[in-house]
Amino acid sequence: MQQIPDRNFDALVTPTKLHRSLYTDPEIFELEMSRIWGQAWIFIGHESQVPKAGDYFTTHINHQIPVVMIRGKDDVVRVLHNRCGHKGAKVVEKRSGNVRGALRCAYHGWSYRFDGSLLKVPNEQGYTDTGFDAADPCYSMQPLAQVASYRGFVFATLSNTIVDLVSWMGGAIACFDNLCDRAPEGEVEVAGGVLRYEHDCNWKFILENLNDTMHPMVVHESLVKAAESYIATLPPEAAEQRREAEIIPPFGASYENFENSGITGFDYGHHYDGGKTSIHADYSVDPDYHAAMVSAYGETRTRDIYAFNTHNVLYYPSLTIKCAVQNIRVIRPISVDRFVVESWSFRLKGAPDSMLERTVLYSRLINSAMGMVGPDDLEVYRRAQKGLQSPANEWVEFHRQYGKDQVFADRIEGGGTSDLDMRTQYRAWKGYMEQSQQRGANND
Amino acid sequence: MTDLATIEAFLYREASFLDRPDLDSWIELYTDDAYYWIPATEDQVDPINHVSHIYDDRVMMEIRRRNFIHPRAASKDSPTRCSHLIGNIRVIEESTEGTLIIESNQHVVVWYQDEQRLYAFTAQHALSPDNGSFKIKSKRVDLINPEAAQKSLVIYL
Repeated sequence: MQQIPDRNFDALVTPTKLHRSLYTDPEIFELEMSRIWGQAWIFIGHESQVPKAGDYFTTHINHQIPVVMIRGKDDVVRVLHNRCGHKGAKVVEKRSGNVRGALRCAYHGWSYRFDGSLLKVPNEQGYTDTGFDAADPCYSMQPLAQVASYRGFVFATLSNTIVDLVSWMGGAIACFDNLCDRAPEGEVEVAGGVLRYEHDCNWKFILENLNDTMHPMVVHESLVKAAESYIATLPPEAAEQRREAEIIPPFGASYENFENSGITGFDYGHHYDGGKTSIHADYSVDPDYHAAMVSAYGETRTRDIYAFNTHNVLYYPSLTIKCAVQNIRVIRPISVDRFVVESWSFRLKGAPDSMLERTVLYSRLINSAMGMVGPDDLEVYRRAQKGLQSPANEWVEFHRQYGKDQVFADRIEGGGTSDLDMRTQYRAWKGYMEQSQQRGANND
Repeated sequence: MTDLATIEAFLYREASFLDRPDLDSWIELYTDDAYYWIPATEDQVDPINHVSHIYDDRVMMEIRRRNFIHPRAASKDSPTRCSHLIGNIRVIEESTEGTLIIESNQHVVVWYQDEQRLYAFTAQHALSPDNGSFKIKSKRVDLINPEAAQKSLVIYL
């Protein structure tokens, strides 16, 4: 790991304020990449993206490190460093696909089994009596330190010491269960393609915005007004058929509505808003979907599944999911003032097509960089990135409802318009950033 | 056979409204049942079960048009100006009723958020005759890089 001078994180993160350098300092960004993204469980992909042996999907686990998720002949989904054991070339270049037989490096033709082990080195006799040991794992495509999946969602980490995935998710695991339980067959699969879009700002802005319920009625006011005023001119029967009419207006919900949705935080920075209610709570229920759910779970359990209605769930730092919409967003930092988001949709197995249609509609209407909500969010993050260059005030504040959080053994609960989400994620931020220093000390 | 010059003139007219941009005039070129589509993948066939960058019917076009000029739409504070260059216009299909499928190559330079950006795409227009000119029944914009990470875009291409 590169040597970076230690910093006093207490001086940068207080219970109610953050130093602006967290968003603007390239050195802090590099530290985050090694200490947060290099230690946390990072979302890689979903097992349904690689249904058959040899199917693969490539991504980065932080701003730089290339990895490949691949299903083996033994049906195990692995995450490997996407680096040839020979001269280091990236072995798998395409975003996704299927490879037969073996992975082969395009440079000198070294080939690897789907589990990453070295299969063959061309003209191998040149290595005889040179001390080269083909069985040494350093010449393989090495698996990441830990890989685990939960209900098909594959995570990996560069850390040997982080707690196991289920412990790491803590109480936030209930949201993965809720997403999958919304499928009559209890499983989801990736469907409907992916949208990628770029942000001109620090990666933390989107995480802070997820459960910032003080912004929608301001940032999205213009859209809500434009939509409501036009939809009001439509004949009522035409308006009722518009799914946009139930998706867009809740973005203009009142402070009181958002306050009542509540926010719940967990260790490691995870949090969600909603639970009892959310901006997705009043969506209509397709009668065919409801019938499939009741036949799978019974009436009571079905109602319980619908009733746990969250808005955005954050698995800090790389993944945010929408259970009620079956959409996820994957965060990938690029530099201190740039990151990319991927918006993936999921099919609820056993549900009618209308459910996927709504998910896809939501993704293009709300998330798309050419959509109706996304560009306004991107614009305000961009302005924050610019404004924070000013030394007029060294701090970003988050006092809302400070001191009023309810602390339980495994979670913290607070008002929906509180800054509990900020407190939760920056407690984790500091923990990750400091933990690495402490471990460094222990290794001495 | 419809005269190619008539088709050209119509495409240039649509482009001139988008260049300014004047969405109020632009939207009048479209039929009430029109669609405007920017797919998110190459050769995309399904706009309903597969995500798109944009897939608007007339209702969404009307909402977008209203939002574009709303004083509190932060993403629209920045000036947005475009320059469409249209070439390689070809008639793909012409029905006996005069309905046309037209393809063209378009390079659009967009000035937005202090940046000049270049979009390149194949446009496919479905046109129906209307009082000596046309109305657009659908427009499909196949970007050469639909799978790339896109930046905010608040105007139709």
